[in-house]
Amino acid sequence: MNTTGSGDDHTTRREFLRNGLRVGGLTGAGVMAGVMSHRSSADDTVWQIDPRKCLCCSRCATSCVLEMSAVKCVNWFPICGYCDMCTGYFMPQVVDKGTGADFQLCPTGAILRKFVQDPYYEYTLDESLCIGCSKCVDGCRVFGNGSFHLQVRHDRCLNCNECAIAKACPGDAFYRAPAKDPYFHFTT
Amino acid sequence: MKDTQGNDPSTSVSRRAFLGRGALGAAGAAAVGMGARVQAAGKAETPAEENPWRYDIDSLRRVDPALIHYDRVVLFPVGGATVRRFALGPDGRVYVASGKSVLVFTPEGARAAEIAVGDLVRAIHVSRDGRVYVGLRDRVEIYDGSGRRAARWPAHSGKPFITGVAATATDVFVADSGNRVVYRFDLDGGSPLRLGEKNAERRVPGLVLPSPFLDVEPGADGLLRVNNPGRHKVELYTRGGDLEQSWGKSGVSIEAFCGCCNPVALALLPDGRCVTAEKGLPRVKVYDAEGRLESVVAGPDSFAAVASEDREAATTTDTVHDGLDVAVDAQGKVWVLDLVGATVQAFQRKPAGGGGGKGA
Repeated sequence: MNTTGSGDDHTTRREFLRNGLRVGGLTGAGVMAGVMSHRSSADDTVWQIDPRKCLCCSRCATSCVLEMSAVKCVNWFPICGYCDMCTGYFMPQVVDKGTGADFQLCPTGAILRKFVQDPYYEYTLDESLCIGCSKCVDGCRVFGNGSFHLQVRHDRCLNCNECAIAKACPGDAFYRAPAKDPYFHFTT
Repeated sequence: MKDTQGNDPSTSVSRRAFLGRGALGAAGAAAVGMGARVQAAGKAETPAEENPWRYDIDSLRRVDPALIHYDRVVLFPVGGATVRRFALGPDGRVYVASGKSVLVFTPEGARAAEIAVGDLVRAIHVSRDGRVYVGLRDRVEIYDGSGRRAARWPAHSGKPFITGVAATATDVFVADSGNRVVYRFDLDGGSPLRLGEKNAERRVPGLVLPSPFLDVEPGADGLLRVNNPGRHKVELYTRGGDLEQSWGKSGVSIEAFCGCCNPVALALLPDGRCVTAEKGLPRVKVYDAEGRLESVVAGPDSFAAVASEDREAATTTDTVHDGLDVAVDAQGKVWVLDLVGATVQAFQRKPAGGGGGKGA
């Protein structure tokens, strides 16, 4: 007999809550198990960019959930030409080379140009300034060897389950890389 | 205090409230999910033109039509594997270095023969007697007219990366980008002499090759033309290695050599004028003996887009994945191999008065 007297098929609030808690508990346990399972596999892989598919669209700079994108330009030195006239560093129209902002292609001045020996210069990235816009990557590709390329930096990336840049990438360049070996390897 | 059902109101939730909160949460989650999808869809549909950091060289691709003194008269696809260099045979046939083969075409573009080579072919020259000189990464091989290997020269020492071969009646010149040197051999591959290396006493500045596109072209005047891409120069050497002359300047204007490293290929017209090919802004131009721009053979619009969809080759140390090669036939037609489009094109000078510009 129920206490409310509203019918045999009715459930009391206490029973409802108890059942709800049971169902909730089981559901929660299932979800936790799923999360743990997913997390263990997610921990094994991280987001990375395949430079062969990158279209230099600049969405890496604008789509990351971080205020400053976790995607940065990287220079792969084995194919870098150490060019005097680096087309990833200089604006295309530049003739008289200088290091002033007016000459530089990078909108944030993140590329550092250092003299090595005549006529070679070394180009490195200040990642604290790089926004991952890929302008330099395109410049290096069009005229040079393509040593500049974008990579997800894992000292910054949150490794979101659903990467906002990956979703926005028109070239489908994002892939899951092994966490133990998280960066793209060029063929030598 | 408990209610009439013995529940503590501070902790108990009514079914209505429970369901209501659940519905609210579900609705919220759905809204977030939908919002994310809407946001992602919005980003994915952003037109490329809205890229605020686009590397824009569109205006630099335009060439004044008055400067173009040539018309295209031949165009055919090469097909097959990655193409790198090409040469014209004495019979007018076109020999294309394609993967590990040399593909032979008639001047009209019909495939005539194929010479199988054991390694990637990176340079090619066909002598007047029909011998095919093939440059592999570290050595030269010679094939006879039937495609049989007639000679295999020893491998170069150091870090060889051969990208140019040319032969005269007495010498064979081999451009080695990896070692930044041009070798002069006798016809049997002996008596090597190194040209173009930095030498302050001889006032040779040295070859600068950010990417491997060293080319060599012997002239009828006895001087050897060598491109020095990192310095944006064409240099003229005696066969003994003395630097006689150099010309060329850096810049994107039509009379200059653009980008990091150009020109990437050379050829000589019958009257000695020099034909140059550039990558980045793919342009083929003619310069007089003093290095003054005389005319344009073809501008960027004549060739495939620079950015190939297949970037496979761009992620290897073999960086020869775009650019042009040039050759000139006995009639003065300029032939061009487009590495990106994998096509061969020939350009003929317009009749006098048809070019609309100087020297037409």
